[in-house]
Amino acid sequence: MALAAAKFALSEKGLGVEIYKADVVIVGGGGAGLRAAIAVAESDPSLKIALVSKVYPMRSHTVAAEGGAAGVKREDDSLDYHFHDTVGGGDWLCEQDVVEYFVEQAPIELTRLEHWGCPWTRTADGHVNVRPFGGMKIMRTWFAADKSGFHILHTLFQTSIKYPSIKRFDEYFCIDLLEEDGRCQGVVAIEMGTGEFTMIEGKTVILATGGAGRVFRESTLGGIVTGDGMALAFRHGVALRDMEFMQYHPTCMPITGLLFTEACRGEGGYLVNKDGYRFLQDYGLGPLQDKPKNKYMELGPRDRLSQAFWHEQQKGRTIEHPVFGSVVHLDLRHLGEAYLRERLPLIYEMAETFMGIDPAKEPIPVRPGIHYTMGGVKVDGKCETSLSGLYAIGECASVGIHGANRLGSNSLTELVVFGKLAGDEAAKKAQSLPPGNSPSLLKQAQEAEQRVLALKTKTGGTERMSTLRKEMVKSMEDGCGIYRLEETMQKTCDKLGELRERFKNINLDDKTSVWNTDWLYAIELDYQLDVAQSMAHSAISRKESRGAHQRLDGAYTERDDVNYLKHSEAYYVPGSAPRIGYGDVKITKSPPAARAYGAAGEKADQERNASHV
Amino acid sequence: MSEQKIIEIEVLRYLPESDQAPHSEVYKVPFTDDMSVLQGVQYIKDNFDGSLTFRWSCRMAICGSCGMMINGIPKLSCETFIRDYYPQRISVEALAHFPIEKDLVVDLSGFIEKLEAIQPYIIPKEPRTVEEGEYIQTPAQFAEYIQYTSCINCVLCYAACPHTALSPDFIGPGAMALLHRYNMDSRDGGKAQRMELAASEDGVYNCSAVGYCSEVCPKKVDPGNAVNINKINAGMDYFLRFLSPKGGAK
Amino acid sequence: MSKRRPYVRSMDGWWKKNPYYVEYMVHEGTALFVIAYTLVLTVGVVRLGQGEAAWNGWLEAMQSPLSIIFHLVLLAAIAYHAFTWFKLFPLTTPPLVLQGKKVEPCAIVRAGWTAGVVAALALLVIVWGIAA
Repeated sequence: MALAAAKFALSEKGLGVEIYKADVVIVGGGGAGLRAAIAVAESDPSLKIALVSKVYPMRSHTVAAEGGAAGVKREDDSLDYHFHDTVGGGDWLCEQDVVEYFVEQAPIELTRLEHWGCPWTRTADGHVNVRPFGGMKIMRTWFAADKSGFHILHTLFQTSIKYPSIKRFDEYFCIDLLEEDGRCQGVVAIEMGTGEFTMIEGKTVILATGGAGRVFRESTLGGIVTGDGMALAFRHGVALRDMEFMQYHPTCMPITGLLFTEACRGEGGYLVNKDGYRFLQDYGLGPLQDKPKNKYMELGPRDRLSQAFWHEQQKGRTIEHPVFGSVVHLDLRHLGEAYLRERLPLIYEMAETFMGIDPAKEPIPVRPGIHYTMGGVKVDGKCETSLSGLYAIGECASVGIHGANRLGSNSLTELVVFGKLAGDEAAKKAQSLPPGNSPSLLKQAQEAEQRVLALKTKTGGTERMSTLRKEMVKSMEDGCGIYRLEETMQKTCDKLGELRERFKNINLDDKTSVWNTDWLYAIELDYQLDVAQSMAHSAISRKESRGAHQRLDGAYTERDDVNYLKHSEAYYVPGSAPRIGYGDVKITKSPPAARAYGAAGEKADQERNASHV
Repeated sequence: MSEQKIIEIEVLRYLPESDQAPHSEVYKVPFTDDMSVLQGVQYIKDNFDGSLTFRWSCRMAICGSCGMMINGIPKLSCETFIRDYYPQRISVEALAHFPIEKDLVVDLSGFIEKLEAIQPYIIPKEPRTVEEGEYIQTPAQFAEYIQYTSCINCVLCYAACPHTALSPDFIGPGAMALLHRYNMDSRDGGKAQRMELAASEDGVYNCSAVGYCSEVCPKKVDPGNAVNINKINAGMDYFLRFLSPKGGAK
Repeated sequence: MSKRRPYVRSMDGWWKKNPYYVEYMVHEGTALFVIAYTLVLTVGVVRLGQGEAAWNGWLEAMQSPLSIIFHLVLLAAIAYHAFTWFKLFPLTTPPLVLQGKKVEPCAIVRAGWTAGVVAALALLVIVWGIAA
């Protein structure tokens, strides 16, 4: 049977490095990586796929996504609406041709997930249901209660088991890419359970390693969200694009940062300040609505809501909680226990377990927390980077659909739309390429091995890793928060430079091989410092305010389309801060306009439609 | 901030490159009332001993990484709070019934093989193209399987089930719940294939209805129920095959 | 060479390690008392078949103080077995959905008890009726 032929054979042994030969290597086993693996397997079952992940795939952070995935579903909706919501939501920093492809493919890929068993919540007549989400004109968010990411991830993981050509390297930690003849030809990874090195050759490589939000302190993110793939590509000369745009989610649990999904508001929840006042009406999102109205009030975009929180805090209108600090209230009481248990069971459970609050009886204290990395590895509309044969998808990539602010529920869809596309593209390319030059690749792998081993074996260091990490996350929060100032951003840039130096003097407690997480966390911290630098330096260079990048200083408080309707591009400079350049933004059918929500947004929509007629 | 208190956390440690067998170490950890046992263990790693090893990620009881025996009971350490034990000492140990790789990390490869063995994917009853849209699934059909989709693969149920250690090939509660999940899905037609495994030597009859698996399940999947229902199903299949040429399974 | 050395913990005395397991073992153990009582009854049936004298001898033996104490112990053990057996009901029966809602485990246990008690009473009435 052909299946047996597709199984891997353990090939020759290098010097301390195991070698596997694959056709397509995928780094990252979250939603995007799994979708890409399935796409490769379906497009050509004879291709050998290596799926490398530092955690078992179902632990990947896709699992924590709650609200849902956007795709046009209703009769009264259109691809054009989804397009305009996305481009406007991204403050016109989107690649519009890519967004067009994205909205077109969204319903197709979400339907495919349904065929694979994803338990989307249904209407009474058995069809897939949709819910409203922030910044979306029409309801189009497909959801599986408030565990949409969990169900998507498990559906994809379990479906991937069907394909014998997908060979998983679970709990393998990727430390470098292999580059030869101007092409990416594989990766080097540590088998975490043994501490030994494996070289995985591939004619094409897809990065699907997720975001980098863990460089901030208070975040919704899992410990694994450390920007590994971004740093890997960055160090090989690929640009990190739009890294200054970090999304603050407006409704997070104080201190831990755990997420209360936007669906809380989609289902009708209110945000109120210490006076019980729905303060969003003061920030261009009104007038007040009784029922959830798309693009009004609580259904505004995340950047605007998080910024409104900041202003409320400045005005002294937030609630000062003895433990949680400054918070506002997410009020779900009027929705009733039965409805909350049906639509938001995880939220209910989290409020009870983590905060001792019954959301049907008490409002939930919330504040903004870091949630999503809009920027990432720069790729073209086919997901390929400037390094031939290297692709990037999902949160680690910047394919251009999120611009300066992602709309909630676009990123889960991104995983499957671009996972599929990258899988198909990487498969096609792999079919046409000869096998790599193994001895030369092995030499590179051994160099990487020596470099990474040195981090563990060296002695005499004095810096404690957790100290450096704490200083990094604090500094990022201070300098690159919801609102930014030249001076504090400069401090952050300086601090990161200092931490880069101090990292060289790090000392590890654990020098062993088996399951040495002390060592792996140090490699992650090394990645994080690179990515944090790209963020801080991109931020200080963007002298305007757009989407999630808002400045309070001088002349930079407004959007400046003349000088900054451009993508920032951070390039790695060994031993120094990154170099920041700029690239054009692809505009097809939506010229930049004022970004308005609430009644003002509706008026702007009407005017635009009138001018098109 | 609430005042700082100190909790004693006793960790069963095992360093395979130097220890012959696991040994206990006690750490004194300052904590606040919002801190989970996971955060306590993280505090030890950050401040006392970087070699302490455990899996974790999401911190919100959905990724399934951070299961540990906490005072002898399998729990997700991220949603277990130090305040509920204070001032008593907390003991933390790797999940029972699995081999310990290092400290709190266990070998999950056996579980993963079982998960792969149960064919955890839709084997379509009536294949459908994307152009035809989604399958229609009534609320009643949905209710048949949805509970069993909630499994986060945290394997607490395996740490609760003595049979998974006494008969290591037993498919076990979590994987059986998943098997049942696909069998009950109206889109699926693969029940007969999966029941072969459920009824086999490694299948449901290894279970003696201890019931602790369902007790410890953090997501109320009730895996023990899935196992026991399939004892009935497997039994029916066995007898019905004498009556019908096609066998009992649909 | 891999430095992995997975440590497998012993399962000796596993059932003593957790109160839940102890309860399970007691539950399983009390099943022996159910068997013991069926033996007692079986002996009775055999003695009945052997004639009136044998039957009266058996009846007499049943009335000895030792036998009564033995029966009290049996009753206690079987009652405990029944109690824990009903408790397992929700684990072993397919989920019941009534009017679109899953029936709560405690309701299933209650229904089990009710059915058990009704059956026992019915049996008593029937036996009473035959005897009368």
